[in-house]
Amino acid sequence: MSAGPDIKPGKPGRLERISDHLKREWQLYVMLIPTILWLLIFLYKPMYGLQIAFKDYSIFRGVAGSPWAGLEHFQTLFGNDQFLRALKNTVVISFYGLIFGFPMPILLALMFNEVLSQTFKKTAQTIVYLPHFISSVIIAGIVITAFSPSAGIVNTILGWLGVDPIYFLTKPEWFRPIFVGTGIWQEAGFQSIVYLAAIAGVSPTLYESAVVDGANRWQMMWKITVPSIMPTIIIMLIIRIGNMLEVSFEMIILLYQPATYQTADVVNTFIYRQGIQGGHYDLAAAAGLFNAVVAFVLVMTANTISKRYSRTSLW
Amino acid sequence: MAGVSLEGIVKSYGSVRVVHGIDLEVQEKEFVVLVGPSGCGKSTTLRMIAGLEEITDGELRIDGRRVNRVAPKDRDVAMVFQNYALYPHLNVADNIAFGLRIRKESKADIAAAVEEVSGILGLTDYLERRPADLSGGQRQRVAMGRAIVRRPKVFLFDEPLSNLDAKLRTQMRAEIKRLHKRLGVTSIYVTHDQVEAMTLADRIVVMHDGRIEQVGTPMELFLNPANVFVAGFLGSPPMNMVKARIVAGDSGPVAEFDGQAIALQKLPTLQNSVGQQVTLGIRPEFVTVAGKDAPDRVTVEVDLVETLGSEALIHATLQGEPFVIRTETVGQMEVLDGISGFTIEPHLIRVFDGKSGHALPGQVLEQ
Repeated sequence: MSAGPDIKPGKPGRLERISDHLKREWQLYVMLIPTILWLLIFLYKPMYGLQIAFKDYSIFRGVAGSPWAGLEHFQTLFGNDQFLRALKNTVVISFYGLIFGFPMPILLALMFNEVLSQTFKKTAQTIVYLPHFISSVIIAGIVITAFSPSAGIVNTILGWLGVDPIYFLTKPEWFRPIFVGTGIWQEAGFQSIVYLAAIAGVSPTLYESAVVDGANRWQMMWKITVPSIMPTIIIMLIIRIGNMLEVSFEMIILLYQPATYQTADVVNTFIYRQGIQGGHYDLAAAAGLFNAVVAFVLVMTANTISKRYSRTSLW
Repeated sequence: MAGVSLEGIVKSYGSVRVVHGIDLEVQEKEFVVLVGPSGCGKSTTLRMIAGLEEITDGELRIDGRRVNRVAPKDRDVAMVFQNYALYPHLNVADNIAFGLRIRKESKADIAAAVEEVSGILGLTDYLERRPADLSGGQRQRVAMGRAIVRRPKVFLFDEPLSNLDAKLRTQMRAEIKRLHKRLGVTSIYVTHDQVEAMTLADRIVVMHDGRIEQVGTPMELFLNPANVFVAGFLGSPPMNMVKARIVAGDSGPVAEFDGQAIALQKLPTLQNSVGQQVTLGIRPEFVTVAGKDAPDRVTVEVDLVETLGSEALIHATLQGEPFVIRTETVGQMEVLDGISGFTIEPHLIRVFDGKSGHALPGQVLEQ
């Protein structure tokens, strides 16, 4: 009795398809390995340590050996005036950053797009990109010097106007504007590159069509350029909202002092003082976890809202 | 409505001249098609008329007014672009209304205009949709709606059907023709597709290397091409070209090539051109297929016979060059099986100067 050829009926199975796919595209997966390793080592492995937020952590007993403490650290945090102040400052500074800092790169990109002289455009772009490449320590040094009551340029100019020197960096009411302004100065130019790239992707015929229809440059900017780059703006906004509680930790540390803690101390600096300086790793971990959960909720909410109303989303 | 006049229009980019002094009169309500291969300057010419490119030299007049330095918006023209140029963030109604809103027309007027135009173009059911949710044909209709709604003096079309598939292109071609008949607006249409040019145009302008080669009605250009370029560009399949020498025959001029001869019409210019090297232009449709026994036939080497149903394309070789014959199939199948050559009426052969490529004077083929 002879058997016919062994033909597999129907479509190939899921495992077979995955195996075929891997055989075909293995080079891509090899390239992916370093990124996956980086994610595992630096982002996923440390999650193991998150449990100390729920433990009475002792550096001698280790993570696994420390006794569980339930939500005790969270209760301590929310009963701690310093944490609540830091939380409030984080939200306020982030809000200022969002209101004043987020639109700046967009405005810069729109302005660069309107500049006709290529030489002027390139020079201006280089000047505004430059602060991004300067170390935060140097930027903070420049800011401290500029606002110095004795020799700072700001107080010198105020002096010409008959205003007495102001001790800007020791006055809590001045910290937030200075901090947000410094952030804009340092990053707005560099961040505008994303929007310039988006503008470069707008079809020139949209503008030509508008010119024939009678639109002027202002109308083209608001009726074509801005709506065309809106998906990019929304994506950047979602990312920004996700990072809202990640206020620039380095710059705060470099610029604040006990006199300005009232308005300058944020969750990250609180974690730094509690964890590194105070040795309360468990409390700091609880604050960090809270930060991460809030950021997660914010980014999910922003993404869902954006998806529903503008058809643009991260995923 | 308005006519468009181009006098010695020149366009240069730095030292490179791309349009070399074009003269053209487009009459009121006329549909003129600029046709030519890529890089011939047809789109540049259209863009100069629209005001999207500066005119280096010459005079452009719309409705008798010199508009060389007039802004595009003040020329009263509307343009339909190849890639539709629809605003992706606006729905169909807002796209159509864009030009009117820019001109700050009243809301009531805009609503009425959008309703009328969407009715004409069959877009009423799609007014709330965005361009991404439309098919290619619908997008093209919206693009035309944007042009129509402003009621301009002149429509400019820049290869508007290039992005559509063959079936849709045929359908939209008919719609554009219908629309022109209905609105009667002076239209200038750019395409590289000679079928579009032949079917749409009142007059065709054939361009090559920044110059106009010939202007005329589609049939004028098809039957009486001024030179070898126009002859080869219009017609599908294109006109066959055969290099020959004119000699004196017993009953009139004869073209000789490769030991074969073909009788030419008895025109004084041809009779006086004995000894001249010429190029014979033979339309694939104008020849009659001939079997081995047919007298006075021109012999060709047949490579392939493509039967397309009611007609067949015979791909052959003559002088080592491709030679195509188009013929009806009904009642001809036997002849097609034994085909070895063709015959042609002398007056259907277009004779071009062998050097300049220009048609010898005096040859006029009536429709």
